[in-house]
Amino acid sequence: METYLYLTSVVGVYIGIGVFVVGMAWRIYQWSTTPKSPVRLGLFPKPATSTGRGLKMLKDTFVAPHSARIEPVMWGFAFAFHVAALAALIGHGRLVVEYTPLVRLLGGDGMSTFAAWSGGTAGIVMTVAVLFWIARRTYGPFKQLSVPEDYFLLFLLLGIIVMGNHMRFLGHVPVETYREWFQSLLVFRPVMPAEIANSNVGWSLGTHMLFVNVFLVYFPFSKLVHTIGAFSANLVRSE
Amino acid sequence: MEPQQVDTLTGVLDKKMTRQLKQYLDICARCAICKDACHQYVATGDLTYLPARRAELIRQIYKKYFTKTGEFVPALYEARDPDESLLDELYESTYACTGCRRCMYYCPFSIDTAWILSVAKAILIAADRGNEMLGQLADAALMKSDNFDMFRDIILDGFKDIEGKVKEMTGDPSAEIPVDKEGADVLYVALAGAHSILPAAAIFHEAGTNWTLSMFESANYGYFFGDAEKARRIADRFMDEAKRLGVKEVVITECGHAYRVAQFFHEAWSGEKHPFKVRHILEVIDEYIRDGRITVRHGAITEPVTYHDPCQVGRNGGIFEQPRDIVRAIASDFRDMTPNREEQWCCGGGGGLVAIAEMEDFRLKSGAKKLEQVKATGARIIASPCENCRLQLEGLNDQLDLGLTVKPVMDLVVDAMEIRR
Ligand code: HEM
Ligand code: SF4
Ligand code: SF4
Repeated sequence: METYLYLTSVVGVYIGIGVFVVGMAWRIYQWSTTPKSPVRLGLFPKPATSTGRGLKMLKDTFVAPHSARIEPVMWGFAFAFHVAALAALIGHGRLVVEYTPLVRLLGGDGMSTFAAWSGGTAGIVMTVAVLFWIARRTYGPFKQLSVPEDYFLLFLLLGIIVMGNHMRFLGHVPVETYREWFQSLLVFRPVMPAEIANSNVGWSLGTHMLFVNVFLVYFPFSKLVHTIGAFSANLVRSE
Repeated sequence: MEPQQVDTLTGVLDKKMTRQLKQYLDICARCAICKDACHQYVATGDLTYLPARRAELIRQIYKKYFTKTGEFVPALYEARDPDESLLDELYESTYACTGCRRCMYYCPFSIDTAWILSVAKAILIAADRGNEMLGQLADAALMKSDNFDMFRDIILDGFKDIEGKVKEMTGDPSAEIPVDKEGADVLYVALAGAHSILPAAAIFHEAGTNWTLSMFESANYGYFFGDAEKARRIADRFMDEAKRLGVKEVVITECGHAYRVAQFFHEAWSGEKHPFKVRHILEVIDEYIRDGRITVRHGAITEPVTYHDPCQVGRNGGIFEQPRDIVRAIASDFRDMTPNREEQWCCGGGGGLVAIAEMEDFRLKSGAKKLEQVKATGARIIASPCENCRLQLEGLNDQLDLGLTVKPVMDLVVDAMEIRR
């Protein structure tokens, strides 16, 4: 267990974050150094001012109103997934630093209850959305459109989420202990608290992190670069 | 697959690579939200016509030859060579696309599939697999300008015949079709054939416009064929004429793709700013009506009329209201289709498809959505600017014996125009 956790939750994290940061920087560098097409590709109607275009781009990216009109169900799942993923990301911020003002507001127990509910909900929403996507790809009439990359990403996500849910719903390790581990990584003096290694969620943390690391390493080379590309591509729409 | 062939085709992709294209190829989530936007996929359910699948063929080449991950693990992306089987599939899906960009409208990332397919066309042309008919039509247009002395008199004779009809129509023996007129304000660029010259000439005459007619037609098969160089040279024919005559504006006839080429592509292709404005004829006519330079009789048409937004005029050209205002000024019963304007269904006739005989069955089949929309309005007359659209709408009308009349907006104007004597 110690070795597994050391590989996945210490060494692996450094590799994952390192490749992710360098890879994304490389991707952005590649995009920004490729010359723009001189032809304007905008669709009408489009706002007349650049502020208007910027605002429309943000709306098109975050709300995707046109996609909602044509396939509301898919849009619903995609929107729910992305909101839940954002919530989960914010939740994971507690590993870096406790949200003290919120704890003061809710009290220690209140904060735990809030985290349990919000984290739990996000976990379930993401699970359902990913299962929906897998089913849609597998049974949709357009299933040949999918390539292995699509399934690879979806199953990785499913793995991450299920393991996360396992820790959330069946584990009893308090956030302080996780934070001790994560902060130790940040200051490059990694320790893995025995409390985690010896608990029922030691292997699920290890597996969670294994999937997360593969996900992070692969991210910059996958279609998930839409996290950044969506903004510029949607801006082109209004140019 | 010869390695040299691979080099040639990937070389084309490399040369055409822009930031937009690269992002489109990198970010598509293959979510297939675009599928229901495409009239061809909706009508056939055939994967070949699913927008993202069409683009995917280019992505497969891109992944294999332009990304390290695709080079080492091609299976992950189904990356492959631009071999015969890929090119066969690419030809099928690329030359079918009408370039309506309805898929772009609905995509969460606004991926311009038609733009990706313009690069696909360049690849097909490099592989000597460009569509033959469209290529011939493009070459014929260039032949005309390269050997202009041979054609000049025939063209001018044709214009004289039309001039006679303008005199009749306006009841004014001094009415004329000015050609090669220096100092004219407007250069009007029509299509080949009287139908797009006559009504405009009558309208310009009534409005008292100082205009001149271009010797060249605005239709651009170089654009449909997918050869940007030829497309530019075809447009150069009248752009150079406009510069030479020193006109203040170039007015393009109702034709959709010609307007888009002139307004949005030509400056980028030639790298020069136009010393004149470019406008669509319906913008001009709408202005004449508003300014009282021509008058049309409201109620001249009492039968229900609907308006079809050609994709290149509407969603891709930004002209939505002017044609509607014109039709409303004439018809007492105007009925819009649902959806309309930027969400309008493509009729299926764009992209040069009406010129490709072997596409006819497929083309008419792909008009299913449009037909549904038209029928739902109960209109008896469909007004539509684009000639490609009209040919398709007429084809649908004939096939099902619907008894509808399909007309250019200009014709409605001329029929309802009060002639001042
Ligand atoms: C902000 C604009 C964004 C838009 C419009 C957007 C849109 C989409 C869409 C349409 C899908 C397709 C789902 C499918 O069928 O597979 C998707 C998938 C996904 N997105 Fe986003 N997304 C955005 C940002 C993000 C961000 C910031 C993340 C960060 C984690 C993210 C992570 C994912 C993941 C993990 C998937 C599922 C991957 C898969 O389907 O293989 N997205 N997104
Ligand atoms: S809607 Fe856009 S992102 Fe989704 S599959 Fe189509 S082109 Fe790709
Ligand atoms: S541009 Fe139009 S015809 Fe071409 S793929 Fe998109 S929706 Fe279909």
